[in-house]
Parts: sequence; structure tokens; C-alpha cells
Amino acid sequence: MTKELTEYLPNDLLEKYGIYIGFLAVFVFFCFMSPNFLSQRNVFNIIVQSSVIAIIAIGETIVISTGGIDLSVGSVVALVSVALGLMLISPLPIFLAVAFSILLGTAVGLVNGLIISYGNMPSFIVTLGMMSIAKGAALMLNGGQPVASLPMGFDKIATTDIFGVPIFVVYVIVAYSIMFIILNKHKLGRYIYAIGDNEGAARLSGINVKKIRTTSFVFGGLFAGIGAVMLTARLNYATPLSGSGFELDAIAAAVIGGTALSGGKGSIVGTVVGALLLGTLKNGLTLMNVSSFFQQVIIGTVIILAVFVDKLRSQ
Amino acid sequence: MSTKLFTLALISALIVGLVGPAVMAADMKIGFMPMTLSNQYFQTMVEGAKKRASQLGVELSVQAPKSHSSVGAQLRIIENMITRGVDALCIVPASSTGLMSGLQKAQNAGIPVVNIDTQFSQKSIEGAGLNPIPYIGTDNYDGAKKAGNKALELLGGEGKVAILTGVPGQQNTRDRKNGFMDAVEGKLEIVATQTANWEVEEGYNVTQNILQANPDLGLIFASNDGMALGALRALKEAGKQDEIELIGYDAIPAALESVKAGGIDADVAQFPAEMGKGGVTMAYQMASGESIAVNHHRNTPTKLITQDNVDAMINYLENYSG
Repeated sequence: MTKELTEYLPNDLLEKYGIYIGFLAVFVFFCFMSPNFLSQRNVFNIIVQSSVIAIIAIGETIVISTGGIDLSVGSVVALVSVALGLMLISPLPIFLAVAFSILLGTAVGLVNGLIISYGNMPSFIVTLGMMSIAKGAALMLNGGQPVASLPMGFDKIATTDIFGVPIFVVYVIVAYSIMFIILNKHKLGRYIYAIGDNEGAARLSGINVKKIRTTSFVFGGLFAGIGAVMLTARLNYATPLSGSGFELDAIAAAVIGGTALSGGKGSIVGTVVGALLLGTLKNGLTLMNVSSFFQQVIIGTVIILAVFVDKLRSQ
Repeated sequence: MSTKLFTLALISALIVGLVGPAVMAADMKIGFMPMTLSNQYFQTMVEGAKKRASQLGVELSVQAPKSHSSVGAQLRIIENMITRGVDALCIVPASSTGLMSGLQKAQNAGIPVVNIDTQFSQKSIEGAGLNPIPYIGTDNYDGAKKAGNKALELLGGEGKVAILTGVPGQQNTRDRKNGFMDAVEGKLEIVATQTANWEVEEGYNVTQNILQANPDLGLIFASNDGMALGALRALKEAGKQDEIELIGYDAIPAALESVKAGGIDADVAQFPAEMGKGGVTMAYQMASGESIAVNHHRNTPTKLITQDNVDAMINYLENYSG
């Protein structure tokens, strides 16, 4: 490690770790600006508040890495959330309801992937359509009404602590570790980036492009489903209005983390930092009592700057 | 390299330069979270709250989500307000049943909560095992009944009406719909009940569709003014402004101007500034350890506004323009 570090000039260091340095800069900034920012409890708060987007952004990163985009994940969260709420009060055992919910998200992802791959359709259009379908279905399921009074014990999925660490932190670490291994050690990871880099070349080298592309959307749906379960448990409440705008936050997390919208380049470690950066900004700016209107301006500026820095370093 | 460092410096400078002065110290901090700030109604409420806060010498920290239905964002704001160390919280919930985990966190942190405007469901509060929460706001059922009675008067007792309702799952949405319906039931024909989620744009679109389906519509009751302003645009566009009566709800400044100009025919006024003031007062009392009756429930008044009395209302509201 030390040997590797000495090989880098500061310039390269910044190039390689720009997002991490940016995140640290923002973090340190808030430490100085708000006396309540740096506490174990608040740091856990930030991770918990960022975790649903962080989870959804895993699937989004994989889709974007293949050169696609998934606009439906926010609506899938709404659909899965209401379906989960209804299953829970039906009453299905919590374990089964959660399993079916994640399956439902995955199934929507599969439908996206099949239409895009085998119907040869642009993912932007197909997932835009699915965004509306899933939202409409979410509203129809319970006549637009939320599902409250979920069974006792369901919110344990969100409120449990493990040695003082909120369980959402554990979910994020586990999900990212598994996906990190799959994307970096398994051939699937190589294929995903290969397709995003040059689809024609990938096909010629024998990669089943349709299958891999479909798989990427299955991941999109899977993680949207998991995110929906987490959100529903966190709120202990299921509403068809949840998840709106999540697709944009997930895309932002991926892009801030260095995933190229043109495909072929992405890192899920970058993505989790991207999600944490967004969460840290929302948290820190609220602690500083910055107006909620101006917060949006700052967050938008950071997204543009992050991509700008990324562009500089890739030149 | 230098460009990149410069970029990072720029982010920091931007944040410090523009928001630095917002940090100040006071003995007591009260957190105030309306449903959203993108609605004059809540802006008026916040102005009232700010006035009272400065009279009491407490620091008021106002945060709100972008739209009317963001329960998740409200939970995040509550958590961050708790971390910020507020001594009490005033909350206008985006859902009457969906913010229980946030209330639980406030209760665990020993922070008293005052419920404003949109009432928490008592069943949910009891179900979650939470302490009772005092409430200040409009009796919306009663206010909507006034709108219904005015509708009967405007239409001479018969005709077709459409209702634009708010975000599903909010107590206000139910109360305003039911109050209006109960007043006109059996007399007027309700041909459409559609949600426009309290938003101007949706009120515009939904009204266009309702007009397509019901060319002989007599009256629209928009259960908030945002939706009423959207509906008015649709009516003007269709050239039906004179044929179809329009009743709004809230009495935000933009809607009152429209009442004055003859666009909106009648409007049920609420008094959000009084809610903001009352909420801060009660939060202050609770945070100072004064005991509040556990089931404290205070209704601020409603008033029907027409061209006859609109000027007085506009004058009153000018005290609370930001």
C-alpha cells in the first residue's frame, strides 16, 4: 500500500480519488459550520438517510454502466411499497411479504430488460413508460390511499440496532460488498462494462449482449424492490406517493461517483460515496438551517461540479 | 490540478458565502416544518410563526420538502432537527398516518411536538403508543360546509359540480371533501371527484379533463387555492369563466386577488398566520415546561370570502407577506 501511494503524484491522487476528496471536503466543512454535525449519532443518521438511495443506486449504476438508464426505479419503489403494505395487512407473514415484494421489484426489472433487449428498444423510452405504469399501478392497488397501521414487528427491519449500529448501515455494507465482488471478480462485471464500452465489440467477442443487458435491468428492479422494503419499514407506512424523484437521486449518486452516462465506466464504491455526499449535503445544510430552496441550488451545483471534475480528470 | 482544487474551493466558498450568516445563537430553538414552502398558504403560516418567534426571542428554524406529499423527506427533516438540538417542533404533516416513526423519535429525544393545520390521525398516534399531541388548525369539515352552502346559493340549488381534492391520505383532504359533499348532497349532482394533489399544475390539467367530460358543469370546488388557480386557468382557456362558478379554499394572496378581479367566485379563508403564531406559542410553553392539556385542540376560524369582503382580508394578510 505504501509503495503504491508513493508512486502517485498528488495530481494523480486527486484524479483517482477526486470524489472521495470532494466528499471529505464537504464533510470537514460541515464539521466546522455546525456544532451538531460531528457526532456518532448524526453520522449514523446520514448513512441511514442516504441508504435507500444508496441501495437503489447500485442497480442504477449497473444499468448505466451498460450504457442504459432506468427511469422507473422511483415508481417501482411506490408500487412495491403499496403491494408490501397490502400483503402485510392481508395478513401475510412478514418474511413472505418482504420476499414477494423484492420479487415484484425484480419482476418489473425483468420486464424492462426483456422489452429493451429483445424488443430492441431504447431504455430511456421503455423505463419512462414503466415509470408511468408502475406509478399508476401503485395508485390503483389501494385506490390512491396509503396503507398505515402495518403489523407490529415489521418496522424492526428498519429500527433494529446491531451493537449500536443501525441495521440500515449493515444492509448497505452487505449489499455493496456482495455487488463489489460480483462486479470485480466475476465475469458478469467485465461483460457489463464491455457492453457499455463497445456493444459491437462485446457481441463479436461472444458475449450474450441481450442476456447481460436484461440482467442489468433485473438488478435495477431488485435493488428498487429492496429499497422499497427499507423505505416502507423506515416510515412504517406505505404510500403510492413515495419514491417520486428517487430515480434522479439514484442517477445523481451514480454520476457523482464517476459512472459515465455513456456507459463502460462505473464504480459502485464511487456510487455509495455519491449517495453519501447527497445525504451529507441535505443533512448538513439542514443542521446549518439553510433555506430548503437554497439547498436545492447547492445540491444541483455539486452534481454539475462533480461531473465537471470527472470530465477534467478523464482528459 | 489547480483547476480541480479551485473547483473544490469554489463549492466551499459558495456555501460559506451565501449561508454563513444564517447561523446564530439563541437560548431556545424551535423547529418549524410546514408541508412544503412552495405554497403561499404555508409561507403565510411561516411569517406568522416568525413574528411570534421574534416576540418571544426564540430562534425559529424552518425546513420543508419540495412538494406536498414527501413523507420521507419530512422524516429526514425531523431527524436532522433533533440532531440540531431543537427544543420543540411544530409539524404540518404530509400524511396524517405516515409520520409516526418521526414522532416516535421526537418523543424518545424528549422533544415536544405541536401539530398544526393537517391533523395527525388519533388512531395512528394511539396505535403507535405515542403521547397525545396538541393540535392547532382549521375545522376543515366545517369550512368545506361553508363552501358547499355557498355552492348551493351560487347555483340556485341545482346543477352539476366537480370537486378537486388534495393529497390522498391526508385528513384535510377527507374533511374538505366530506364537508362539501354533505352540504350539497341530494341537491347538487357531483359528476367528478379527482385529486390534484394540492398543486396548481395538476389542478389545471385535471380541470381541463373534467371540462371535456362535462360540458354542462355548473361549479368547481377546488379544495385548496393552488388547485383553484390551476382550475381558473383551464376555465379561462376554455372560455367558460362566466358560465362555471369556482370556489377555492385557503385564501392565499394570489387567490384573493383573483376573487377581487372576479375570477374565483368565493373562497374559504383559513388563518394560517394564526396557526403559525399559536403553534410557536404552544411549542414555547411546552419547551419551557408549562403543562398543556393533553388533548389540547384549538380550531382557528374559517370565513367565507367574496367580492364584498375581500379587501379587508387582503389588508389583513399584508401583515404577513414575507
